[in-house]
Amino acid sequence: MHWFGWIAVALYAAAEALAVRSLFRSKGLGAAPALVAAGLVAQFADLELVGRSLGSVPYRTLGGSIALFAWMLGLAYLALVLRHRERAIGPFLIPFVLAFSVLGIVLPSHAPAGPATRGSLFAFHVTLAILADAAFALSFVLSLLYLIQNRQIRRGRTGVLFSRLPALEVIGRMNRTSVTIGIVVLAVSVALGVAWARRVWSGFTDAKLVWALLTLFVYGVMLWMDRRGWEGPRVALLSIFGFLLVLFSYTFVNLYLSQAHVFR
Amino acid sequence: MSEGREARLLVLGWNFRGASGPVRDRVAFTSEEVREGLRRLLGRGLVSESVIVSTCHRSEIYGVAEGNGVGEELTRFISDWRGLERDVLEKAAFRRSGAEAARHLFRVAAGLDSMALGESEVLGQVRQALSIARETGSSRAVLHRLFESAVRAGKRVRTETEIGVHPLSIASIAVELANKVFGELSEQTVLLLGAGETGTLFARHVLEAGVRHLKIANRTPEHAEHLAARVGALPVAWESVKRELPSADVVVGTTASPEPVVLRADVEAAMRQRKGRPMFFLDLAMPPDIEPEVRGIYNVFAYDLDGLEDVAAENRRRRVREVPRVEEILEEELGRFLAWFGNLSVIPTVTDLKHRFEEIRDRELERFAPGDRERLRPLADSIVAKLLHEPMRRLKNETDAARKLERLEAVRHLFDLDRD
Repeated sequence: MHWFGWIAVALYAAAEALAVRSLFRSKGLGAAPALVAAGLVAQFADLELVGRSLGSVPYRTLGGSIALFAWMLGLAYLALVLRHRERAIGPFLIPFVLAFSVLGIVLPSHAPAGPATRGSLFAFHVTLAILADAAFALSFVLSLLYLIQNRQIRRGRTGVLFSRLPALEVIGRMNRTSVTIGIVVLAVSVALGVAWARRVWSGFTDAKLVWALLTLFVYGVMLWMDRRGWEGPRVALLSIFGFLLVLFSYTFVNLYLSQAHVFR
Repeated sequence: MSEGREARLLVLGWNFRGASGPVRDRVAFTSEEVREGLRRLLGRGLVSESVIVSTCHRSEIYGVAEGNGVGEELTRFISDWRGLERDVLEKAAFRRSGAEAARHLFRVAAGLDSMALGESEVLGQVRQALSIARETGSSRAVLHRLFESAVRAGKRVRTETEIGVHPLSIASIAVELANKVFGELSEQTVLLLGAGETGTLFARHVLEAGVRHLKIANRTPEHAEHLAARVGALPVAWESVKRELPSADVVVGTTASPEPVVLRADVEAAMRQRKGRPMFFLDLAMPPDIEPEVRGIYNVFAYDLDGLEDVAAENRRRRVREVPRVEEILEEELGRFLAWFGNLSVIPTVTDLKHRFEEIRDRELERFAPGDRERLRPLADSIVAKLLHEPMRRLKNETDAARKLERLEAVRHLFDLDRD
């Protein structure tokens, strides 16, 4: 089981090693993006196999959803690297891809698909929710980098990390983009989810929905304050807080607060 | 053995350590003079190859020569050419030969021999020196290889160590810091307070760094207008500095004003108008032009001369800490060059060739009965000796290093001497 998944994990690990090395060594992007791309292909094959064996979308289960999350995060990394030629984020982002890929494999993934979890509405709802979470995770990493770089500049530490990390302005811009994408995608996902729940369960409120709305609110405040004088470390801290909410929703809310609406 | 005929590397030079400014000025060459010097040197037959490295801090003549005493000849040549007392030149000069000469060039290329430790400009100058010599036809196998190796070592030092990473001058530290706040400094507006000496220097520096929107304010407006016209900036009235603040991303104070020109309240108001966009203050004035309390405002970056001098000192220490790693790389590359250069020596090749012939002799003798073997041995020995004699003599007497190298390589290849 999960041969392709483990191959992907190995490729991500190698990519991380190269990314760290390239931060301190030669110029150019190095081979890390290529390894991540290969890992994405392998992981896609893994998800495909899991989906077939379940006869449903692979992310009906907790493991599958986390694996898909890792996959989308990897995709976001690749897009960012190719678009901005910004290799400095690799060493900080790839560990997340790696960790969630491993979790995706080892966490339970044998929930039989009930009739409720079929259909394209459901598939879109879950896929978009996970995509939104990947965008927020990306923003989380960018915010950490922002805080690190902000500190380096204030202390006049003009070393390797300082010179390799992008300018605050650039990190901030990337952060805005990923949060905007996250908000839009999560909003659509929530709308689809509510529509689907009405059809299947005929009326429902649940902790996860409340949590998603709270997440939307926090990130919305972040974007709004970014233009109202909070540009800088405060916005980065808000984004980190937002991602903690996302993680909480994934773990605590998923396991204890929500009943029907869970990844098992 | 004619050891004296072996090609030897040597360098004769004057740099900021040993030679005073006036001496260095006299031996500083323009690239046209370098060409002329190289042609003359080769014309006199002093050296078989030569490259001249001439920068503002050093003039160095690298050469490949046979025999001793070439250093003195070179000094005499320079003293005749530049019209300088030979004693003066001799006293200020430094001389190295063999591996030490090569090591010196490697250190120069890596910036270890520069006034600003680890600076990178010199690497380009070393490369430039080689290309001039190549055009003039004065560099051949040995110096070509030496300089290429030194440039490769210098590049490795830049990518594998931090010796060039940390900026050393106050202005370049400030520019790098501001760049890391705003991304592209060229798109930002810089407001310069003061058009005196420091202001002028700084204006030049930021314009070189690519800044396109530079505004200059000075208490005496004529000075601001004058400087602005000279460097291509925009003069603004002293009274409107406060009004200019919201549109300024970087503010640099260089005036002699006894009181701060920019107050905390002004900056707070400006930040409100800027909706939180960061501001960068650099105070090079003594007493300060910018109220130190500005530092506490959200998303404001403020530095003063003391702070930046600390950064510069720390950066210098960091560069010094990198020196051992740099030297490791240099020794590795130097070792590679010297191994190649060592092959220029005839002795190892001749010894190898002799062994190869003796091997063949012994193998062939094995085919005979022991009694016959003893009788045939003198004959075989004499054939081997006769066969070796002429090639050895010719290799040893070859004075042209490039040709010698080719021939040695040919011998090693034809007789498969590098087999093991």
